[in-house]
Amino acid sequence: MKRLTLFVFLLLSVITILAGCSSEKPLLIWVGSESEAFYTQKMNDYVALYNASHEEKFPYRVAVKAVDTASAGATFLDDTEAGADIFTVPHDHLGRLIAGASSIAPVQSAELLAQIEANTPEIFFDYIKGTVLGTEYTFGIPIIAQALILYYNKSLITETQVQTWEGILEAAVAANKQALSLAGADGFNNSFLLLARNAQTLESSVRIYADGTLLDCFASGDDTVAIMKWGQRFFTNPNGAKPPSESGWEIELKDGISISMIGGAWQFQAAQRALGSNLGVAKLPTFTLTSADAYGTAEAGTVFQSGTFYDTKMFVMKKNSPRAAYLEDILLYLSSIEVQEESFDQVANLPIYKNAVSEFSGFTGETLSAKLANAQVDMFQFGIPQPFGKQSAFNIYYYSKGAPDLIMEILRNTGNNYTTHAQIKAKLEVIETIWKTGAQN
Amino acid sequence: MEKQAIQIPHNQSLARFFKRVGMFFIDAWRGIKQRIIDFVKRFKNGSVGTKLSHVIMGFGNIYHKQIIKGLIYFLIQAGFLTFMIVAPEINKTPLGFVSLGNLITLGTNPGDIFTDPDNSMLMLLYGVVAIGFIGMFLFAYFSNLKSAYLSDLRLREGKKPRTFKEDIHELMDSRFHITMLTPALIGIIMFTMLPTIFMILIAFTSYDSMHESGVLFEWVGFANFRSIFSGTGEIAKRFGSVLSWTLIWAFFATFTCYIGGIMLALLINKKKVKFKKFWRTIFILTIALPQFISLLAMRNLLGEYGPINSMLIRLGILDSPVSFLAQANNAWTARITIIAINFWIGVPYTMLMTTGILMNVPADLYEAAMIDGATKRQAFFHVTIPYILFITTPYLITSFIGNITSFNVIYLLTGGLPNVPGYEAGQTDLLVTWLYKLTIDKKEYNIGSVIAIMTFIITATATLLTYRRSKTYKEEDAFQ
Repeated sequence: MKRLTLFVFLLLSVITILAGCSSEKPLLIWVGSESEAFYTQKMNDYVALYNASHEEKFPYRVAVKAVDTASAGATFLDDTEAGADIFTVPHDHLGRLIAGASSIAPVQSAELLAQIEANTPEIFFDYIKGTVLGTEYTFGIPIIAQALILYYNKSLITETQVQTWEGILEAAVAANKQALSLAGADGFNNSFLLLARNAQTLESSVRIYADGTLLDCFASGDDTVAIMKWGQRFFTNPNGAKPPSESGWEIELKDGISISMIGGAWQFQAAQRALGSNLGVAKLPTFTLTSADAYGTAEAGTVFQSGTFYDTKMFVMKKNSPRAAYLEDILLYLSSIEVQEESFDQVANLPIYKNAVSEFSGFTGETLSAKLANAQVDMFQFGIPQPFGKQSAFNIYYYSKGAPDLIMEILRNTGNNYTTHAQIKAKLEVIETIWKTGAQN
Repeated sequence: MEKQAIQIPHNQSLARFFKRVGMFFIDAWRGIKQRIIDFVKRFKNGSVGTKLSHVIMGFGNIYHKQIIKGLIYFLIQAGFLTFMIVAPEINKTPLGFVSLGNLITLGTNPGDIFTDPDNSMLMLLYGVVAIGFIGMFLFAYFSNLKSAYLSDLRLREGKKPRTFKEDIHELMDSRFHITMLTPALIGIIMFTMLPTIFMILIAFTSYDSMHESGVLFEWVGFANFRSIFSGTGEIAKRFGSVLSWTLIWAFFATFTCYIGGIMLALLINKKKVKFKKFWRTIFILTIALPQFISLLAMRNLLGEYGPINSMLIRLGILDSPVSFLAQANNAWTARITIIAINFWIGVPYTMLMTTGILMNVPADLYEAAMIDGATKRQAFFHVTIPYILFITTPYLITSFIGNITSFNVIYLLTGGLPNVPGYEAGQTDLLVTWLYKLTIDKKEYNIGSVIAIMTFIITATATLLTYRRSKTYKEEDAFQ
């Protein structure tokens, strides 16, 4: 009897496991963790609106799940069947998502295409589209724009000092602290120096996959060499910038180890927790070349404005989703100007729609979120959109093949190997090669 | 003479090795030959039913009026053939006989913007699954022949063929172990063997970050293995140093904890030490906490701006914060710190085990030693220590292997950093953490698979060599 009971128990266990595998899947939407509650509410609103305007009820249960948007694309590609019907990715992930025959669906609805065309700033047009097997399609539905800005400790840095790195360094020396913390040593966070541009002409010689071309990369111009030399002094100064530590930038700001930090809107809440009422937000500062930095055509006294990569977070749709018939209508709603504005009001997501700066009242005023928005809008003119969306190789070569480490080596003058301009230039040429080929030689 | 004395055992062991390899193949061939002979014999000597069972499964049983058993065999055959011929699709990829063809090509349809391309990954997986099904079917097929022939033999002996009721009764009684082990065996095949075979096969493909969903990948032979030993890429440049550090780490992580644990247990077990239970409880507290919490706490304590740095600066020992882990200026600072933290976490396990062993050393061993005139010191070195070593050798080996594949300690303390500029593998990365980065972060599945295979070869070789040479294996439970 005991044996029979044991056998039956085993059988029931197997049946239960198998039954658990076959539950009906909801219409799944992945968004950034900061936006989960907001989009859950918006989807409830959408379903209510749908039910009110249609005879039949919305046929699916909707689930909005928080994900790390930086890895959402990769997670989706791991198992597209289990992936979300709609998900948020930065625009530079498009290349991976549309590689081969594409794993995401192009926008086909004329109404949605018209809304994208009407709302999206022209600078992003090129980055939400992609070419699959020779034909260009629109894949991304932009909802958020973001750029690097400066979070700083208002109690230690004045509004005048925060405009230049020299001013911030002066404040750091006075407080015997470090001028700047970095959130990471990766290719995104180091863009504030690599993409710095002449503050007067707004020009920079740096080219990264210009016009979507793999081999059109350049990082060894006179201005870049001089900027790296300036950055090296900034990073090797005892009160200058510090590379990321095990303790993390939040602790460094909170404990007063450093007085400023370069970050994005997604780090706003953490910065608020670290600095409380002392949190200040500003566009990234300028810096001036000295005679020690000057190289070739980049002369001493030239003022450079720190640069940034900026990007748009956009919704994309799973290819051949069983719920495809409903996705474009949902996206028409979620990417509307009204929802973008609400998203700013509730979770500080910067709306991307055209003329938001002049038309949206949320950008005016002295609130921190308004300053956050304006600092990012200011930075758009000093940056470039992340140019990695055209081919999957761009993103991998730029971020994952060691180039960011080499930039940090130059800035820290590791082993005193980069004391001369020639040594810096030689390493920058190696970095160019990595961008082009994925290897150092 | 001396030279000869060294060479002979070496030559003998080599000869023994080749002899064993040879014997393995000879035994395998003998086994196959015997099965062929049995197969032919069954076909020749079997009844009409048995003969037909070669074509229609279960016919032999039905012929002997074992209807239910025969039907079960028949349904297995019908189900298998239906599965192979109909080739059902799961996630738009066919199983059945089609999957065998797909296993060779790994997909030919590149798809377009509105239609999905072939899914090379699923094709590889389903091909392996189909081979697994064929294997299980062949097992059932030969079982069907055996069953039919057994009934023939029973009839010739004047006995009745077994009824279904008798078979079931036997499965619930004298062969109950088979009933209970079958689901476990199926589980092992499905969840251990098939994924392992799948993983091994990936090492022979071009499945990497450039061949994710939407892009076909193909067979590349041994190219991924060659990239470890030659070329200028990450794998060729970093494999040797990651492997070296992995072995150094495994050695120190194992022996520091092992020796430290034994010493601590001996110390606590000394007669003069009071409050033994209290001391044991104190050390066991680190086991009571989940390991990752202990590790994260240590990482924060040792952070550049953590309490330990602050304390050292206040005491005047340090002038400025020092990074002990991921951002350490010298890789050995991070490595030694990791080994020290691992020592703190790992010592209680060995201490606990050794305490148990010490309490159970046979008293007659000490009595015999004392009668022979041994001092306490001699008894310790010639009885206690050999006894502990004899009992704990398997633990030592599994601990060494466990440390080779120790993921948590490295990943949570340093994440493999400090980095080597230009390379993914950091200076504290073990093979297993590097493998994680390559597969989960970088999607280099094929290279990750090669590293997994290499890790397996190293751990399996180390285990076999050390265990087979240990006294625990040679003398089993005969401690002298």
